[in-house]
Amino acid sequence: MLTVSVKWQKKVFKSIEIDTSQPPYVFKAQLYELSGVPPERQKIMVKGGLLKDDADWSTMRLKNGQKLMMMGSADEVVKAPEKGPVFMEDLPEEEQDANLGYSAGLVNLGHTCYMNSTMQCLKSVPELNSELSNYQSARTKDVDQTPDMLTVATSELFSELDKSVKAVAPMPFWMELKKKYPQFAQLHNGNYMQQDAEECWTQMLDTLSQSLKAPSPSEDPDAVKALFGLNLRSRLHCQESSEESSETESVYSLKCHISHEVNHLHEGLKHGLRGELEKTSPALGRTAVYIKESLIDSLPRYLTVQFVRFFWKRESNEKAKILRKVDYPLELDIFDLCSEDLRKKLEAPRQSSSKGDDVKMTDAEGSSSGSGESSTGDQQGGALSHMTGIYDLVSLVTHKGRSADSGHYVAWVKQESEVLIS
Amino acid sequence: MAPVPDPNNISGGAKRDEATTKVPSKDPKKKDDKKEEDMSEEDLQLKQNLELYVERVQDPNPELQKTALESMSSFESLGYRLTGTEGDIGSWGHEYVRNLAGEIAEEYTMRQGEESPVDDLMDLVQQIVAFHMKHNAETEAVDLLMDVEDLDLLLKHVDSANFRRTCNYLTSAAKYLPGPDDMLVLDIAYTIYIKFEEYPNALQIALFLDNMQYVKQVFTSCTDLLRKKQFCYMISRHGITLELDPEMVSDDVDREMLQDIVNNTKLSDGYLTLARDIEVMEAKTPEDIYKAHLLDGRVTSGPSVDSARQNLAATFVNAFVNAGFGQDKLMTVPSDSTSGSAANWLFKNRDHGKTSAAASLGMILLWDVDSGLAQLDKYFHSNDNPIIAGALLGVGIVNCGIKNDCDPALALLGEYIDKEDSSVRIGAIMGLGIAYAGSQNDQIRSSLSPILNDAKAPLDVIAFAALSLGMIYVGSCNEEVAQSIIFALMDRSEAELGEALTRFLPLGLGLLYLGKQESVEATAEVSKTFNEKIRKYCDMTLLSCAYAGTGNVLKVQDLLAQCGEHLEKDDIHQGPAVLGLAMVAMSEELGLDMEIRSLERVLQYGEQNVRRAVPLSLGLLCISNPKVTVMDTLSRLSHDTDSEVAMAAIISLGLIGAGTNNARIAGMLRNLSSYYYKDASLLFCVRIAQGLVHMGKGLLTLSPFHSERLLLSPTALAGIVTLLHACLDMKSIILGKYHYVLYFLVLAMQPRMMLTVDENLKPISVPVRVGQAVDVVGQAGRPKTITGFQTHSTPVLLAAGERAELATDKYIPLSPILEGFIILKENPDYREE
Repeated sequence: MLTVSVKWQKKVFKSIEIDTSQPPYVFKAQLYELSGVPPERQKIMVKGGLLKDDADWSTMRLKNGQKLMMMGSADEVVKAPEKGPVFMEDLPEEEQDANLGYSAGLVNLGHTCYMNSTMQCLKSVPELNSELSNYQSARTKDVDQTPDMLTVATSELFSELDKSVKAVAPMPFWMELKKKYPQFAQLHNGNYMQQDAEECWTQMLDTLSQSLKAPSPSEDPDAVKALFGLNLRSRLHCQESSEESSETESVYSLKCHISHEVNHLHEGLKHGLRGELEKTSPALGRTAVYIKESLIDSLPRYLTVQFVRFFWKRESNEKAKILRKVDYPLELDIFDLCSEDLRKKLEAPRQSSSKGDDVKMTDAEGSSSGSGESSTGDQQGGALSHMTGIYDLVSLVTHKGRSADSGHYVAWVKQESEVLIS
Repeated sequence: MAPVPDPNNISGGAKRDEATTKVPSKDPKKKDDKKEEDMSEEDLQLKQNLELYVERVQDPNPELQKTALESMSSFESLGYRLTGTEGDIGSWGHEYVRNLAGEIAEEYTMRQGEESPVDDLMDLVQQIVAFHMKHNAETEAVDLLMDVEDLDLLLKHVDSANFRRTCNYLTSAAKYLPGPDDMLVLDIAYTIYIKFEEYPNALQIALFLDNMQYVKQVFTSCTDLLRKKQFCYMISRHGITLELDPEMVSDDVDREMLQDIVNNTKLSDGYLTLARDIEVMEAKTPEDIYKAHLLDGRVTSGPSVDSARQNLAATFVNAFVNAGFGQDKLMTVPSDSTSGSAANWLFKNRDHGKTSAAASLGMILLWDVDSGLAQLDKYFHSNDNPIIAGALLGVGIVNCGIKNDCDPALALLGEYIDKEDSSVRIGAIMGLGIAYAGSQNDQIRSSLSPILNDAKAPLDVIAFAALSLGMIYVGSCNEEVAQSIIFALMDRSEAELGEALTRFLPLGLGLLYLGKQESVEATAEVSKTFNEKIRKYCDMTLLSCAYAGTGNVLKVQDLLAQCGEHLEKDDIHQGPAVLGLAMVAMSEELGLDMEIRSLERVLQYGEQNVRRAVPLSLGLLCISNPKVTVMDTLSRLSHDTDSEVAMAAIISLGLIGAGTNNARIAGMLRNLSSYYYKDASLLFCVRIAQGLVHMGKGLLTLSPFHSERLLLSPTALAGIVTLLHACLDMKSIILGKYHYVLYFLVLAMQPRMMLTVDENLKPISVPVRVGQAVDVVGQAGRPKTITGFQTHSTPVLLAAGERAELATDKYIPLSPILEGFIILKENPDYREE
């Protein structure tokens, strides 16, 4: 008979008697009563070795009062879940990138960055996407089928972008674009010339608006116009003759004129809506200076803003780029650029949501102040607050480089209410 | 007395210069043609005399020859002193004595060269030393005695007033002396400490010398049980295995109690006391560490699909951050919530990732053997080999630095060493290496050695066996283990020698000689016969390990020369050479700073494979000590175009900030995590580094140095060096399937605390001042030892370069080195005011 103490977890079972004539299994059964650990799961440690069930006590030279240690638990044994998790590394390469949450890029076909960035911007408009995917080629017997073809090409390009996770080479689209607008096919030293993204944007909208006109008049007549078009009500005022006339026009973008006093997008927009022009005054019988003041009469779902950074330097006869830093917010409020009528319409919804929005505004301006690099920006406002006159920044195209004839375009698209990704 | 940093060197040096210029014929630097004109009349006279003497030396008359020789000693004051009357040496003042001392030193070397007797000089030395020791000039006395090679004389002259300063100077001078003088100097310091019953310091030196005889002597010389307890705490921090015998502690019950302290059984409790006091018990998730919300810019809502690589990173981060706390939010979720997703974290890791995940439980329960084994038990019954491997490794980790009579780690792991599956074998082998590092356990050797020479064993099993043996026998110079590893190396085929893991074989061999200097030579000789593919690698590893922590300048130069070579083919031996630079130079501050500067050069001029090792080297030099300059260098390198350099720099950022919660490094790593968001490998490294910086929620350190940077824990250094060697080939080891080598860091993990306990070893809180340590070597009087201090109550955290002192007279600490566990005794003379 031996007496030992057994340490198990934080407990110590003192003075347990071992009947050395019985195999260790009996001892384990004793411990089972004390600890509740089934004998087969007990591990008893004796001086650097484990106690075997069939061991001989006499060979172990145990001393009276020796301390033993037991490991074991009645816990459930870990089991692997029936269905293991799917790991990103197991997925095919293409899907791995998709899981990082970025959409596919477009391959530069040689000086086509203006086109790529424009298309990425257009792509960021979900309504246009759905509109295009529903588009059925009209195949009318019009003489000019090119707008239709281009729209089909656009539609195909977008669906390809949706499916693919790798960069897409927009070759068919590029062919169609050149066919419709030969100016983009101009060559210079054997290469395609650099082009203006703004021009591309305007032309694309033009084409799309032509071909996306609904076949039946009952529906919205012009999807593109509803999305991007805005009406300006302009008042022409001649200071000399006090003549006044007003007109409305429909445009696709607001221009942000940049002069030396413009530091912020908002100021530029105001600037762009006021202009002087010379025209023949019927009252005076000669040309006179008219002041044109425009106000927005109706707002589109997406507002396009163009920073007019390229201008013609008259003295040196060359195009130049204005490198002035202009801040733009991630949220744009154009309330005070609206006409009286529109303001009235906007007021009610604004009241309800003003508080939350104000806070957001300050935030947004803070984080966007560093982006003075961006030059020609086509900005689009999101329409969650369509009725409030407040726009979220959805995407922008920026031009990098100092001169007007060269440089690179990059599109920045906002990801689901989070961050900008190139 | 005003502080005179090292008056002997300054004034003595000047004097000596003067003396030599007076005798131009002895000064080779003087230009010959100008000699005559430049000399004053006095000099001219001297010169003539000298010529006369030279003439007379050649004289056949021996009488005349002798006087000539004596007078020729160009040392005026010494000459007169020797021929003149013997009087009080101090009556001519300090300046005279110093001058005399300088002259004696030179005369001594001269006579040694001629092998002429020095007895008359030694008489003078006796007087001078006695004078210096009485007049607060211990440093000068020591300098003189070192010059005349008779330090034993010191013993006669030290007294209770000056022995501390004397020993302080001796120990710090030892760092700059070439061997074997350094050992001699420390020996004297030890003898003096024992003489004045300053046992903690004596023990410190005994540990430094790695002299178990001395350690034992400290125990036998001291009779106070409480003080012996303090010794045990010091030994446990150093991490060596020591079996107390009845001679050291006679009473059985007492001995058992002291052995418990040496065995570190209460480390977990102490650490948790600290954690509760600082209020950081709350478990942290990897997301709490990543702090992604602070990043502006590119943050997506996270990938929708689990990434095995990133989950593995999270496993490590979780393990490092919650190390030793016994609770976390991934692995130790209460069993009743097994249905929850958290309990399945283990299975969110893939294949070999499960090994690291299971082992992370051991890290979370670090030092708490009882709970650790209880919780790891469930993995033992799994039928998934990687999980069993993890459980085995986890047992090793839990037992790291803790010894137990029942040897649970050996009992549990021993069974699995020879299993079929190699991942299980590696788990068991590595676990043993970690649990028994430094123990020199014969039983383990006899079971691991055969693996090394088993022709059927896979390479990775052999590599880990060599490594574990190296750790278990670290710094032992064990012949048999060395032989086994050497044979294993010789048996490797050409192809195997090219494998990344083969590097663990030379490393295991090197660890056997860690810090043992010349003892390595025989083995180094043998290594020259190895296959050329591994020969130089082995050479460099052995050299750097053997001289690790010695600050040996010659070895640093050897290694630098290796790094400077521009090799045609891609040779891997330069990696360990660069690491070796840091290993050799890391021990003392001056050498360390010089090394940081010279690494900058290596970075500029070195080849690519040298550059890759430089960040790791910097990481070792400043481990858990985030110096701003090094931080900046590493931050720059973390954006290097060579991704291997960048990875090494990122891991090193983690190492230098390990356990500090350093906000600047944390910010850098956060930015890197967004910079490298697309590169899974680099992101993995960033995550690991983030985990390291917040290791133990800022309560731990990886520094192998302790006791005011005097002592170097061999096991801790072994753990770090192993990881660094693994980092030399990041892609195949850490980014491959052997990521669990990261757990070798556990060997270096120690709480960076000072915890005061009363005479019953219960924690008590007392006010202490914590401030930047001041170097007081060679300063007279009782200078302040810390500066810019703040007062806290214990337990407190000590950062690198900080020192604590008691802010109350109510208690007397039993060790002058206030680190780790400190026993306080009530001061009998204390009166409440």
